[in-house]
Amino acid sequence: MRLAVSPENKPILIASLFVVAILFAGTAYTLSTTGTAPLLSPGYLLQQLQTGSFLGICAAGMMMVILLGHIDLSVPWTLTAAAMTATAVGGEWALPTALAVGLSVGLLNGFGVAFLRIPSMIFTLGVDTVLRGLMVAQTGGFAPQDSATPLMLYLAKERILGIPVAIFVWAATSIVIAVILTRTGFGRSIYATGSREAAAFLSGIRTRLVIVGAFVVSGLCAATAGILLAGYSAKAYQGMGNSFLLPAIAAVVLGGTHILGGRGRYAGTVVGVVLIVLLNSVLSIMQMPEAGRQIIYGAVIIGMLLVYGRNQRVTS
Amino acid sequence: MSQPIVEYRGISKYFAGVRALEKVDFSCRAGSIHGVLGENGAGKSTLIKIMAGVLRPDAGEMLLDGRPVSFAEPQAAADAGIVCMFQELSLVPDLSVADNISIARPPRRFGLIDRRAQVARAEALLARVRCEDIDPNALVRELSLSRRQMVEIAKALGRDPKVLILDEATSALTARDVQTVYDLLAELKAQGVASLFISHRMHEVDQLCDTLSVFRNGRHIETFAKGDKSERDIVRLMIGRDVEAQFPPKPAPVPAAERGAPLLSVQGLAWQNRLNGIDLAVHPGEIVGLGGLDGQGQKELLLALFGVLRDVEGAVVIGGRKGIPGSPAAARSGRTRIALVPEDRKTEGLMLAMPIADNLLAASFARISRGPFIDPARARKAVDDGIERLRIKTGSASDPVMTLSGGNQQKVVIAKWLMIDPDIVLLNDPTRGIDVGTKQEIYRLMRELANAGKAILFYSSDYAELIGCCDRVSVLYGGRVVSEKEGDQLTEEGLIAASLNIDVEAA
Repeated sequence: MRLAVSPENKPILIASLFVVAILFAGTAYTLSTTGTAPLLSPGYLLQQLQTGSFLGICAAGMMMVILLGHIDLSVPWTLTAAAMTATAVGGEWALPTALAVGLSVGLLNGFGVAFLRIPSMIFTLGVDTVLRGLMVAQTGGFAPQDSATPLMLYLAKERILGIPVAIFVWAATSIVIAVILTRTGFGRSIYATGSREAAAFLSGIRTRLVIVGAFVVSGLCAATAGILLAGYSAKAYQGMGNSFLLPAIAAVVLGGTHILGGRGRYAGTVVGVVLIVLLNSVLSIMQMPEAGRQIIYGAVIIGMLLVYGRNQRVTS
Repeated sequence: MSQPIVEYRGISKYFAGVRALEKVDFSCRAGSIHGVLGENGAGKSTLIKIMAGVLRPDAGEMLLDGRPVSFAEPQAAADAGIVCMFQELSLVPDLSVADNISIARPPRRFGLIDRRAQVARAEALLARVRCEDIDPNALVRELSLSRRQMVEIAKALGRDPKVLILDEATSALTARDVQTVYDLLAELKAQGVASLFISHRMHEVDQLCDTLSVFRNGRHIETFAKGDKSERDIVRLMIGRDVEAQFPPKPAPVPAAERGAPLLSVQGLAWQNRLNGIDLAVHPGEIVGLGGLDGQGQKELLLALFGVLRDVEGAVVIGGRKGIPGSPAAARSGRTRIALVPEDRKTEGLMLAMPIADNLLAASFARISRGPFIDPARARKAVDDGIERLRIKTGSASDPVMTLSGGNQQKVVIAKWLMIDPDIVLLNDPTRGIDVGTKQEIYRLMRELANAGKAILFYSSDYAELIGCCDRVSVLYGGRVVSEKEGDQLTEEGLIAASLNIDVEAA
C-alpha cells in the first residue's frame, strides 16, 4: 500500500529525509578520512542547533509574512538595529529596547504594505536601507564599542542541563508561532488572506490588520535574533544580520511554505532551518571551497523545489 | 441525417480514480445546435475538454469528420476547427480587447505584431457580435463580466470554428446580448457549423438547440431531438428522479402600509457615477429582487451596503441605525448583521486552495474562539452544522474547497454566512453557473430565511428566478431604481421592459 502523505506534509517529509541524507553523507566522509563520526555526536548537533536558532527565529517571523504572499526584506537591518540599540542602551532596558525596535519596524512595514499598498518587496527593502543609514549615522561608521549585557550573553551562550539556552528561546518562539498559526483566528486569517485576499476581506476578515500583525511578528522575531546574536558575539556590529536574509527565506520555502502565500506548515520551516544549517556545516567540514559551497547550496534549493513542484498541477 | 462531425466512441476519463466519463458514445452533426444538459459533475466539462484537446481520454477514441484524432494540446484542436469558450473566461485581464481576440495568431508584419491590423480585426469581429460599443484598445479588466463574455465570443469566432463549444457562455450575459448570441448561432448553423451549447438555463437550451443530450454521473443518458420530451422529462433524466415545483411557494403579499419598519432602508444612495440615487426598502421576511441589465449598479449597490465602497453618499438606515458599515468586518459584526454572497465565488467568495472547513469558518473566527484561541470543539461543530444544513456533498472537510463542484462551492459560501446568523442577506447572482438541483435548494433556503424574519436582497441575471423567488423586484437602470414590480406586475415582459427603461404600462 502506498503511504498517503498530504501535499502539505510532502515537502516536510522530503526535507527531513534530506537532513538524514546530509548527516549520512557527512558521516561517510568523516569515517573515510579520519575514521570518526563527529557529526552524530550530541555535542555537535546541539552546537548546530544553537547557531541554527538565530536563523530559526528569523525564519519563523519571515514565514508569517510569506504566508501572506508578502516578504520582509528588512530582516537583516532590523536585526542589526535591534542589537545595536540594545547594546547601546545596555542594562535591564536592553531587551525591551530591542523588542521595541522590532515592533516599530514591523508596524512601519505593515503600515506601508497594508495601508499605503506599496508592494512589500519594495517597501521593506526601502526600510532596510533606511535602517542601515540610521545605524551608520549613529555610530559614525565605526564599530560600536558597547558590549552585550549579561542577560544577552546568558541567552545566547549559557546552557541549561547541557542544552544551550538559545535553543530554548528558539523552541519558545516556535511554540508561540505554531500556536498562533493553528489555534488562533489571527493565524487562520493569515492563511485566508494569503490564499485570496479579496475573499478574506469580503468574509469580514480585517485583512489590513492581519498584514500589520504579521509584519510585527516578523520584526519582533528579527529583534529577538538580534539580541541572541549580539550575545553570541558579545557585541553588536554593522552588517551582523546580512547573512540571514536569504537563508531565512530559503528555509521557509524549503519547508514547503508556498512563496505566493496561503499554504505551509510551521514544522516545515523548522526542518528547513535544520537542513540549511547542516548543509552549510557539512560542506565546511568537507573543506569544500567557498565557491563550491555556494553552488551546491543554490543547487539544493532549486532541486528541492523542483521535487516539490512535481504533481502539483491542478487537474480541473 | 448528415454525417457526424465529431464522434466519441467509448471514451472514459478518470481523475485520481474517480470516474468523470464512463464509456461515452456521443456524436454531434454539422449544422446543428446541440445542447448538453446535466447537473454539475455530470461530466459535461470533461466531455468538452477532451474535445478541445485540454484533456486526453483514458480509453476510447474520438473521430473528427470520420477520422480518428488525438489532440496533444488545445492549439491542435483549434487548428482542426474545434473552438471552445470555457466557463472560466480565458481572457488576459491586462491585455487589450484586440490583443486578446488575436492572442493565438496575431497578425504580423515584418515578424512583429501589426497593431493596426489587429485592431481592425477586433473591430470587425466585435461588429459581428454587435458589440461596437467595446473599444478594441480598452483593457479587458476594465470591462464588465458580460462585456468580457462577448469579447470571448468574438475571439472564438475569429478562429473560424467548425465546431463551436459554448460552456455556460451566456451565464453572465444581458438579455440583449443573449439574443445576439442566439442570432449568431443560427447564422453559424446555416453555415454548417456544429455548436455544442452547455447551459443551466433550461429555457435557453429549449429555445436555441435542435438536439439535446443528457449526461448524468459521467454517462451519456440519452440524445433526442428538441420537442421530443417535456421539460419535466428532461429534468427527470438529468437528476434521475422526480422534481417538485421549481420555486418554493411565496407567502401572501403584504400591503405596503402593513409592512412595518424596514430592516434596510436606502435613500438617494450615490457612488461615483455608478449609483445615482437609489431608493429601496427591505422589510424583515421579504425577498426583494434587483433586476435590470447587467452593470446597472446592482453589484455596486450590494457592495456599498456591505461597506466595501468608499465615499458612498445617501441616507441608509440599517436596523434602525443610520449609516452604512465602514467595512465588511463591521457589516458582519454590527448589531444588525449583514452577509454578502459575492458575484464571483472563485475569487471573492472562496479561498479555493484552502480546506472546506477554513472557508466555512472564515467569517466566524470570533464566534468559535475563547479569547484569542479557537475552540476546536466549537469549530468542528460549526463546520459539521454548516455542511449538514446545506447538504454540502463532501468527502472530508479538510479537502480543498476547489475539489467541490460549482454548486457545492456556492453552498460553502452560503453556509459560511449562515454561521453568523445574519439579519440581512445580500446575494449577488448566487445561482450563476450551478446545477438545477442546487439552484432549487438555494431558492428554498432563501424562502426559509425570509420566513425566519431575515431581509433578503437578491440580484439575479435570470428573470425567471427573480419572478419565481422574489416578493418584489426593483429594476435598476443607470444606477437608479426605475421601476418596482410586485404581485401581478411581476412578469418577464414587465421586467424586460423596465430593464430597457421603456414603460409599457404607461403607454
